[in-house]
Amino acid sequence: MSEQQPQPNRGPSDLQVIGFVVILSFVCALVLAVLASALRVPQEVAQELDRSEQMMIAARVFTHEGYFQIQNDKGEYVPAKYAGDGRLVAGTEEDIATSNEILDVYKHRFIPTLVDGKGKTETFKEAGIDEEKYLADYKKSGYYRQPEKLIYKILPNPTNGKGEDPQPIGYVIPVNGFGLWDAIYGYLAVEPDGETVIGISWYEQKETPGLGANIAEESWQKEFYGKKIFQPNSEGQINQKTAPVGITVVKGKVAEVLGTSPKAEAAVDGMPGATLTGNGVTNAYRDVLAAYRPFFIKIHDKTETQ
Amino acid sequence: MSKPTAVSYFKEQLWHSNQILVAILGICSALGITNRLSVAITMGLSVTFVTACSSFFVSLLRNVTPDSVRMITQLAIISVFVTIIDQFLKAYMFPLSKVMSVFVGLIITNCLVMGRAESMAKNVTPFPAFMDGLGAGAGYMIVICAVGAIREFFGFGQLLGHQIVPQSWYATTDAPFGYENFALMVSPPAAFFILGGFIWIYNIISGEDHP
Repeated sequence: MSEQQPQPNRGPSDLQVIGFVVILSFVCALVLAVLASALRVPQEVAQELDRSEQMMIAARVFTHEGYFQIQNDKGEYVPAKYAGDGRLVAGTEEDIATSNEILDVYKHRFIPTLVDGKGKTETFKEAGIDEEKYLADYKKSGYYRQPEKLIYKILPNPTNGKGEDPQPIGYVIPVNGFGLWDAIYGYLAVEPDGETVIGISWYEQKETPGLGANIAEESWQKEFYGKKIFQPNSEGQINQKTAPVGITVVKGKVAEVLGTSPKAEAAVDGMPGATLTGNGVTNAYRDVLAAYRPFFIKIHDKTETQ
Repeated sequence: MSKPTAVSYFKEQLWHSNQILVAILGICSALGITNRLSVAITMGLSVTFVTACSSFFVSLLRNVTPDSVRMITQLAIISVFVTIIDQFLKAYMFPLSKVMSVFVGLIITNCLVMGRAESMAKNVTPFPAFMDGLGAGAGYMIVICAVGAIREFFGFGQLLGHQIVPQSWYATTDAPFGYENFALMVSPPAAFFILGGFIWIYNIISGEDHP
């Protein structure tokens, strides 16, 4: 380079520089576009699988460790393994489920259903709504804001004999709200009494790793087992028509903040260093569950009269 | 000094110019996502892939890249490879990609990658540039895997998700003086201390070479 004489017009002209950048951008864009379209299908499959897993974690049919769960005679959750046709039998923690097994159990036991403003349920077919379009269109704005709200029936573990229509053993409600950084999406499963929580999960969140992101961890989600979604009054009674709905994430430990107050039944421990994420979770449950109140009253009355 | 061979470019990066221990680059991700060994390995492989490939292409284009837009060119090339990695993780390793979240995208701004493109790749031919990038990535990977292994072992009592510390050692209500996981190890500051320790040890070992 040093041998060349310095010339006023050395190096590429502006036009050449622009041309280079244009070509480079074009090639990069082309590579990425081809890649994105080639990987779209596997990505959607992976997301679908993850959502199914998370819903099953909320319903305690599946665990973070990767094995299925069933309830034994005493009602305790024990490890299970897949036995064909969506059926689960007792197994061990070593029985890690494959993705096909997960999707099959999901297909057999989780039935998307719609609930109207009065708490009446109907299938997508009865309502004349296209399921795929509905699921895709209203995920961001929240299904709870729709006149026809989304709910998943959890069917019991299929038995060998072909009985009549099985009664749901619970319902999964899609929950969404805002965490500290971005929207958070999750599931909450309630028992048929319409007030006791089976479990929860969060499948999409961008909270701070190590702090707010703990909402996706099993250790924190365990806090919700057996909690109430309605706040009991001072006598410990729940009046579903008037009681405040939602689960409160307190700042600190429930035992220290609320003591033995009946309110503790509808509250969980906060995560240290993640107060704002906790508030986001509290608000999400309050807003979403309020929309489903007529439905909870309806299924609660049904179990009372039985 | 004799003409360096391609392999020497690789070796140089592994130890003598290790990007984390000597140049103190790439610290952000080294602190952020090394609390599990599996995540550290994935991150290490991703960075190695990006550094090696982007160095190769930066070097390939070095004679036609106008000097005024060379940074933008390097960034464009790097981002293409980062996006490729990101898309692949989302398609085939979804649970891991959820854990790594923003850190994959942040490889673009990892100073280590651009540092290699700017200080080495644009001055040498493609193959040595590739080897140099590969070495830089491998050097980075070894360090973050070591940090990840230490943090997972002490923080969770596990390695790659398998329990190493026997469950029977742990403190229970019956035996309150048993073993407990070291909670600090799970949080990012732990990586800071461990890295500091590594750099100290490195300087002791290589003290003669770097007066």
